[in-house]
Amino acid sequence: MPDLFWASMTELAGLIATKAVSPVEVTRVHLERIAAHDPGLKSYITICADGALAAAREAESALMGGRPLGPLHGVPYALKDLYDTAGIRTTGGSKILADRVPAADATVVRRLAEAGAILLGKLNMVEFAYGPEGFNPHYGDVRNPWDRTTHRLTGGSSSGSGAAVAAGLAPGTLGSDTGGSIRIPASLCGITGLKPTYGRVSRGGVLPLAWSMDHVGPMTRTAADCALMLTAMAGYDPADSSTSVLPVPDYRVALTGDIKGLRVGLLRAFFLDGATPEVRAAVEQAARTLAAGGAVVDEVNLAQMASTAPAALAIVGSEALAYHATNLRTRAADYDPEVARRLKVAAFIGGQHYVRAQQVRALVRADVDAALAHRDVLLAPSTPMTAPALQERQVTLGDGPSPVRPALIRFTQPFNLSGHPACSVPCGFTSGGLPVGMQIVGRPFDEATVLRAADAFQRLTDFHARRPVLG
Amino acid sequence: MLPAMTSPVIDLDTLRAGARLAGFGWSDAELEAIRPQVEAALRLLRALEATPVDAEPTTHYRTV
Repeated sequence: MPDLFWASMTELAGLIATKAVSPVEVTRVHLERIAAHDPGLKSYITICADGALAAAREAESALMGGRPLGPLHGVPYALKDLYDTAGIRTTGGSKILADRVPAADATVVRRLAEAGAILLGKLNMVEFAYGPEGFNPHYGDVRNPWDRTTHRLTGGSSSGSGAAVAAGLAPGTLGSDTGGSIRIPASLCGITGLKPTYGRVSRGGVLPLAWSMDHVGPMTRTAADCALMLTAMAGYDPADSSTSVLPVPDYRVALTGDIKGLRVGLLRAFFLDGATPEVRAAVEQAARTLAAGGAVVDEVNLAQMASTAPAALAIVGSEALAYHATNLRTRAADYDPEVARRLKVAAFIGGQHYVRAQQVRALVRADVDAALAHRDVLLAPSTPMTAPALQERQVTLGDGPSPVRPALIRFTQPFNLSGHPACSVPCGFTSGGLPVGMQIVGRPFDEATVLRAADAFQRLTDFHARRPVLG
Repeated sequence: MLPAMTSPVIDLDTLRAGARLAGFGWSDAELEAIRPQVEAALRLLRALEATPVDAEPTTHYRTV
């Protein structure tokens, strides 16, 4: 069967369940694709070929033996290399943890295995998830699959997760998102990435960057696949005290395609006004598409956005330094110099800054809640620009020049502070062929509506179905 | 409050003292290397102090 590596997780699950393809064949196709293209992309740190094939053979036996099948039975996926995997090294993209082999799986890894998913490997990332560009001096800078001639950023920190899905090296992956690390690579790589509500998905067994800002979630090619993975992953976990006891719905049921009357708030100030003209035009067109599909679109502004960058700096810096202080004292030379620099700067953030930032955070949350009081979702660009070239350090945005790093996280980090669910979907392409990402932000624990809107948009457009041509 | 919080420029002595208080014994060269970023961060953090806030800090939040 041709192009199995471009099939969605939902399609693969159906093909396997009906015995149209075998899990072994699906796994082998993906491993061959990885072998052919990953040396150039550098999206994987560890490839679990033997384990994946063994699991696929076991899945095939279960299928042929008529045993009960999970919703992801025989479907391959890959993990950002900060999820603990029993017996498989988990590096956090670092030299410091290069030989760390956990004894147990992270909670979500266990849940995905119980759902039948097959692990292809562990994905490249920014060291310890501390950076949005996608650089990694230890395992290589992941290359964005959408440009064969120029090495462009994938975005990060889930750089390998974004590139692998975009390039057909995995139908779905898990990322983590502290300031945008799922949504930024989703935007720059033209895929779909969901940051769930804080507390919806367990972080148990996931290396932290900043505990109060960290979210974990799926990165796939379709909103339907995000729904499939989220349904299998979400829910209370005693290993993560932040997880909610709210019941987990089957998010796939929400994907009706019906958005008649859906109230959509288009975020103008700070967001659309801060985007490049091509990104702004693509998101405005997406809003018109949703309106044509029956949604009721108006414009809305958030008042507290100017405070989000300093608040995020104080919180992420302080929490990250707390985690890394010992290694920074004893093994500073083993860090990525850029990550070490960020951690060192964090030593000068005072306790009063941290508390003040948590106060500002309460305002940001109330601000977003107010905007959603009479709307179902908010719409904004995921990133203000498309993928910059590797050596680019400055970009010109809608409201002036900006260094690349703060520009990348500008539109995403407000929702890490607020904890609201946000999904990035491809909503257009530039004249140069680079994908544009759009965020759909929803009420806390209302991932169902976020995914319904994202899925409906993907039924109305084909941006998510376009594929890069690999060299 | 560190002098740097009220001044746009932070000198090496202040950096040494701040690092030592935080438990780090970085060399002068290491401190000089991060001085521009520390100054930029403290300038940014000053915006937090300018934000009118009458909310309690978020602690263990939104868990249902």
